[in-house]
Amino acid sequence: MTDADVRHVVSALVVDKPGTLNRVASLLRARSFNIESLTVGTTHEPGRSRMTIVIRGDDAHTHQVLAQLNRLIEVLEVVDLTDASRFELELALVECSVPADAAARRAIKDAMATAGGELLTAGPDGWRLRLAAAPAQIEIALAALRGHGLRNLVRAGSVAMAASTPSQIGEKP
Amino acid sequence: MASLPIPAAQPGGDPGSEVAPRIGARALCEGLVARGVTTIFGYPGGTVLPIYDVLREFPLRHILVRHEQGAAHAADGFSRVTGEVGVAMATSGPGAINLITGLATAMMDSVPMVAITGNVPRALLGRDAFQETDIVGIALPVTKYAALVTDPDEVPLAIAEAFEIASTGRPGPVLLDFPKDVLQIETSAPHPGPGDLRLPGLLRPVRGDVPEADELAEMIAAAERPLILAGHGVQIAGATELLREVAERSEIPVAHTLLGIGNMDETHRLSLGYAGMHGWMHVNKAIQHCDLLIGIGMRYDDRITGKTSTFAPRARIVHVDVDRSEIGKNVRADLGIVADAGDLLAALGRRLPQSPRRDAWWAELEAWREVSLQRSWHGSGAWRQGRLSADYVVEQIGEATGHTATLASDVGQNQMWAARYFGFRRPFAHVSSGGLGTMGYGVPAAMGAAVGRPEHETWAITGDGGFQMTMQELATLVAEQIPVKIAVLNNHKLGMIRQWQEIIYEGNFHSAELFGPDLVRLCEAYGMPGFRATTPEEVVDCIAAARAAPGPALIDFQLDDAQNVYPMMLPGKGLSDMVEGGS
Repeated sequence: MTDADVRHVVSALVVDKPGTLNRVASLLRARSFNIESLTVGTTHEPGRSRMTIVIRGDDAHTHQVLAQLNRLIEVLEVVDLTDASRFELELALVECSVPADAAARRAIKDAMATAGGELLTAGPDGWRLRLAAAPAQIEIALAALRGHGLRNLVRAGSVAMAASTPSQIGEKP
Repeated sequence: MASLPIPAAQPGGDPGSEVAPRIGARALCEGLVARGVTTIFGYPGGTVLPIYDVLREFPLRHILVRHEQGAAHAADGFSRVTGEVGVAMATSGPGAINLITGLATAMMDSVPMVAITGNVPRALLGRDAFQETDIVGIALPVTKYAALVTDPDEVPLAIAEAFEIASTGRPGPVLLDFPKDVLQIETSAPHPGPGDLRLPGLLRPVRGDVPEADELAEMIAAAERPLILAGHGVQIAGATELLREVAERSEIPVAHTLLGIGNMDETHRLSLGYAGMHGWMHVNKAIQHCDLLIGIGMRYDDRITGKTSTFAPRARIVHVDVDRSEIGKNVRADLGIVADAGDLLAALGRRLPQSPRRDAWWAELEAWREVSLQRSWHGSGAWRQGRLSADYVVEQIGEATGHTATLASDVGQNQMWAARYFGFRRPFAHVSSGGLGTMGYGVPAAMGAAVGRPEHETWAITGDGGFQMTMQELATLVAEQIPVKIAVLNNHKLGMIRQWQEIIYEGNFHSAELFGPDLVRLCEAYGMPGFRATTPEEVVDCIAAARAAPGPALIDFQLDDAQNVYPMMLPGKGLSDMVEGGS
């Protein structure tokens, strides 16, 4: 990674078939991209899945790779949402020790306020919360929790949607 | 030949209606026939035996190779000379894996091909059954598409889609993997018509006029020293005539990539020669001094550009390719055009006025060409001093065949000598592993090329290293009487390895000397004519004797020791600083 590296949020519409994820991941690996997050789920259309891929790279290199991604038979549409107005959301499940003092309680409360949080359980073995917010907000919340008993973390990765119709990397007629 | 069992199942029939049930293997063969396949290069094994059990019922010639790598290269060679989709077949596990080198070779050079592999029955998939392997997983990065066909009813559609994918847009290899029971179970699924394919993700080039040709025509009008650099894409698009017309109309000299050789008759006044690491010095010089470089159907790969920061420093660079992802991948393009090479050349032809001759530019080019020809080994005429040199051998094969033979080369020094000295006159004649650089490619590729275009005399030019990698295909050539003439440029060395070790590794030779068999006696063992030349005087007679043999023949050319290929661009250097050498 270099200083020119930018966090790219890419949305790809793909064919829902065995091997599609393999092919997409394999292409990114072959070009030495580390995948920061990749989510995949079904869409409103049968047989179509939507991937949200977060990778870091300089713009030119990343766009060239996205053009290669668009070339795959399994890929129907690729959109780089990095510079687009978009909704981006991530889900995180967090486990903390039972708060030891008022500061710890405040940290958990602040974290939940920052990142759309909800307390799931507050048992004697620990507290579990759910965060749902933009990844940057999640980061802020997690920073607040570190040092106050954060002991387990499961993140779902970003899902993103353009706020208006974005331009594609090439057209598939 | 028995008639087709289900003639109604051809494309253009009623795609919606079911047909009489037949097993998956028959549906597969019908699909191949419907797609115009005539020849399969293959090797049987347990999981593809259901196909071999019915193969006789179909008008399909099966050529039994001696190693699956040979099948893949032969299908590749067949495809490169015919423009059709070559077909290779192998069984599961080791058989399928042996295809991989050939698939990667085809992928790098945009060769349309369909590989059919068997796999273990569906119930055993994933259980490490005998000869099971995840060939789709292995093939993914070296194919345009690879898939496991898990339903007998999907067989007709899978075959049709495989051919569509392989041959549409930028061509490439496709692998289809069939579990054995999918081939054995009956299906009533009909063969799809043209409208039944479900390939929304397949990039189909927009055909027709190319509006960007306006801007390119303006750039050409403004240029004083324009140069076209034409690649394999021109031949794939069937656009060699259009290229010649554009070159003549605009008076632009044409350089070629290694796989672009044959885009123009090399004796044409506007054909400059081939460029790159071992390309002609004057061609590379032209690239470095031109003010407009028009790359058409090529990739600006590292063997052409050298260090990209010093590549074509005076030029505005244009890049035309059917594959959008190639534009700007290796070299910045001042103008990138995503188009079929033929469409672009046609569009350009309509826009360009007849240009007067570019005398000043040509005067420079001619001066460089004269020096370039003199300096090379070729010009030094070593053969006149009684030394058997590779350039002389290749040139004489060119002369004897009227420069119209199909020539498949292997990889290494022999490949560069073949490219430099044969004197190609027509497209689809030069068959070479340009991108992957696959040693062992030459003989099996020539085999496929000879089957695909039997009307053209076919030669394989190979070194003693590459030859020994796939020489088991001599048996195939003899058994099938495929009349390939093999010229082994035998220096008892891995010549290009030796050359690098001499020039780059300060003469620290390691593993460069190569023991090999007595090739004439090897031919005797296989039952085919073998000849040997050790002096220049014997070259012409040996070539004549090999040509006179009705079937395959081999000539062992015992080369003068340690001949290098010059000029040479050193790794990490640019086109402007190339190494010359006399011998």
